[in-house]
Amino acid sequence: MSKKYLEKTSNWMIALRVAIIALIVSTVVPAFNPARMSGLINKNAAFITMSTSRSAIFKDFTRPLRRGWVDEGTLNLLYYASLLVILCIIAIAIGCCMSLGTKRLQKLGTKIITLSSILALPFLGLLIPAYLGFSGTSNADRVEPMFANGFIVFLGLFITIAILGTINLLKIPKVTSEDKYGMESKYKLFLMILPFVILCFVFSYLPLWGWRYAFFDYQPGIDLSMDKFVGLKWFRYLFQNSATRADMVRVMKNTLAMSALGIGTSFLPMVFAIFLNEIKANKYRKLIQTITTVPNFISWVLVYTFAFALFSSDGFVNAVLIKMGVIDQGANFLMSGDYIWLKMWAWGTWKGLGWSAIIYIAGISGIDQQLYEAATVDGAGRFQRMWHITLPGLLPTFSVLLLLSIASILSNGMDQYFVFKNSANKETIEVLDLYVYTLGLGSGGSGNIPLATVVGMLKSIISVTLLMGANRLSKLVRGESIV
Amino acid sequence: MNSDKKMKKIVNKKHKYKLSKGDVTFDILNYVLFAAFTLICAFPFYYLLINTISDNELVRTGQIMWLPKGIHFRNYISLLNVNNLGTSVLVSIVRTVLGTAVMVGATAFIGYLVTKHEMWGRKFIYRFFIITMYFNAGLIPWYLNMSMLGLTNNFWAYIIPGIVSPYNIILVKTYIESIPADLEESASIDGAGYLLRFRHIIWPLSKPILATIAIFGAVGHWNSFTDSMILMSGRPELYTLQYRLYIYMNSTSNLSALMNSGGNLSQSIIDSTLNMRSVKLTVAMVTIIPILLVYPFMQRYFTKGIMMGAVKG
Repeated sequence: MSKKYLEKTSNWMIALRVAIIALIVSTVVPAFNPARMSGLINKNAAFITMSTSRSAIFKDFTRPLRRGWVDEGTLNLLYYASLLVILCIIAIAIGCCMSLGTKRLQKLGTKIITLSSILALPFLGLLIPAYLGFSGTSNADRVEPMFANGFIVFLGLFITIAILGTINLLKIPKVTSEDKYGMESKYKLFLMILPFVILCFVFSYLPLWGWRYAFFDYQPGIDLSMDKFVGLKWFRYLFQNSATRADMVRVMKNTLAMSALGIGTSFLPMVFAIFLNEIKANKYRKLIQTITTVPNFISWVLVYTFAFALFSSDGFVNAVLIKMGVIDQGANFLMSGDYIWLKMWAWGTWKGLGWSAIIYIAGISGIDQQLYEAATVDGAGRFQRMWHITLPGLLPTFSVLLLLSIASILSNGMDQYFVFKNSANKETIEVLDLYVYTLGLGSGGSGNIPLATVVGMLKSIISVTLLMGANRLSKLVRGESIV
Repeated sequence: MNSDKKMKKIVNKKHKYKLSKGDVTFDILNYVLFAAFTLICAFPFYYLLINTISDNELVRTGQIMWLPKGIHFRNYISLLNVNNLGTSVLVSIVRTVLGTAVMVGATAFIGYLVTKHEMWGRKFIYRFFIITMYFNAGLIPWYLNMSMLGLTNNFWAYIIPGIVSPYNIILVKTYIESIPADLEESASIDGAGYLLRFRHIIWPLSKPILATIAIFGAVGHWNSFTDSMILMSGRPELYTLQYRLYIYMNSTSNLSALMNSGGNLSQSIIDSTLNMRSVKLTVAMVTIIPILLVYPFMQRYFTKGIMMGAVKG
């Protein structure tokens, strides 16, 4: 092995990496945006967005540009300076990745880091003339020139990184001709998966940052600021405002009722599978399985279309009833609020029964055939075998799925209820997920975002608690966790 | 082995001869009940089909129930004149193909990487992915996050968030773990790096599971409409077909508002026979057809996928 790895990462190297991570994080924190030299620039725009979208910058300045308060050159300067600084930061990030490699690669990486951070300083400096451009405006009240705090942060970080990089360059032992470029596989693998970890973070963890809206008086289009901080106001509002409280009671009733219907009949797929297994004609069984699974693969919009075709005033059911003389005028069954819980359950079962049964069908094929043979020899009849062999064989699967469905008792999803919702049934169809949507986003931009966030937040917390409870229960009873 | 088979035969024979009265009643009942449920599952599809190909006037007066009458395909041709439908079909197709391709590629790679025990921080990273299956911040924070990222009114909002899909990662990881390790080892001795080994050994060998997740992914993409509704409100040209169908279903406007008046496709015929209902149902039929077309191919992958899902990561 000619590749030589440094035995221990030096503290200087660790300090350098920490500084680089701080730099990268700063590019996505709006408060640290070094290019926010005017109050007109979106307060929630991070530095990274400044450099990626030129049109976004110009959009904020449509009026000042037209009135001649701000020079187009100033905005261009702002944009290109940001872009150049970001390019330097990208180079620094690449150098940081390289610093995980062999001595030779590490040296190269550190060189790149040091040079890029020094190069970034004049580019960052270009933001000062941009600031002066804003200051020289003829209408300071509208343009609101300001010196971005983030500028100091970035300046400090670049200088720190340049100094730390230089120190590291001096500390890394001399590279001989025996040293090769290379990297230990553990770091190689880590760097390969890193982009996906970041992606996962951005789309699944970053939204948690949005929970802060629960503590502010947020109006869409207006930036969050500390003077809008209201503490637990919306949490109290949820329980103290009588209208909201009544809504919550109604919505919880719908949610729990529909979940209970689902959980109460969750044995149906298992029964379906057991009885299907009793059909010995192979082709017939396959056909049943094929056709009953199809509905699972169509969207709820299409299910609603079916409901429309069958149950609306000129639909199939009315036609049949009229022909039979039961009624003489078609009625729109979809526009009725009666038995909505049952109807929704029925559609859910129609769509999902065949599909949910598959796991049990597969489970049955996994049961040891010798058990059946032995039972038959012992004189067990068909029903006895179903009851004493098939059913117990499927119960473990059933109990896991049951526990999981109890844990997700608050999450009915919103698709189904959203498409079936209309003015006649909206009282009884609204489940928690749909309520959150309607409350926050459903009214065309005038929704109550903080209150909807509070409801969603409580739902998430309760769901996770339930899941952990179910998991613990499963560990206690079955000695196995479910998640 | 041989005696086993014999035994089975005997058992089967016994079973056949021992059919009691109760057994026969049960069998008949069982067959009939399953037939009934199967018909209930299939009938809406059939009913939709005969409604869209039958004479629209007969449909309107409620005379089409069991069999199509006056078969014609003008409804389908007339869809060419429905506003915005073409772009929605295109958006849905591009989204499904691109979204699925990117997701499958990424999932295969991630699934492969997380099987590598030598990775720095492997356990943590794997859990980092999987936890997101059980926990989410909620709809509103998700929406605000997407809007902060500039992914509202942006086609990429359909693709990028779906790249990392934890459930599929579990499936692929479990599958790759079942591939004999010596296959990879021998390649590694020959000097092949991770990427090369992934490309030439793991990828071809895991095709069955990749087909499974591709199908689930594609169906999910094709069927989703709430993301269109929530994220694309400012750019209707980015609506998916499903959301477009939803809009049509809830549209109370008359036919002429829906149709492109500039079209000259034998306008008089269309005007005289088309009605709102037939347009709605025909659009729905067009939305179903791709699912029904791929369904026979995907069926054999279901069981595999769902069984592997039962094996927890």
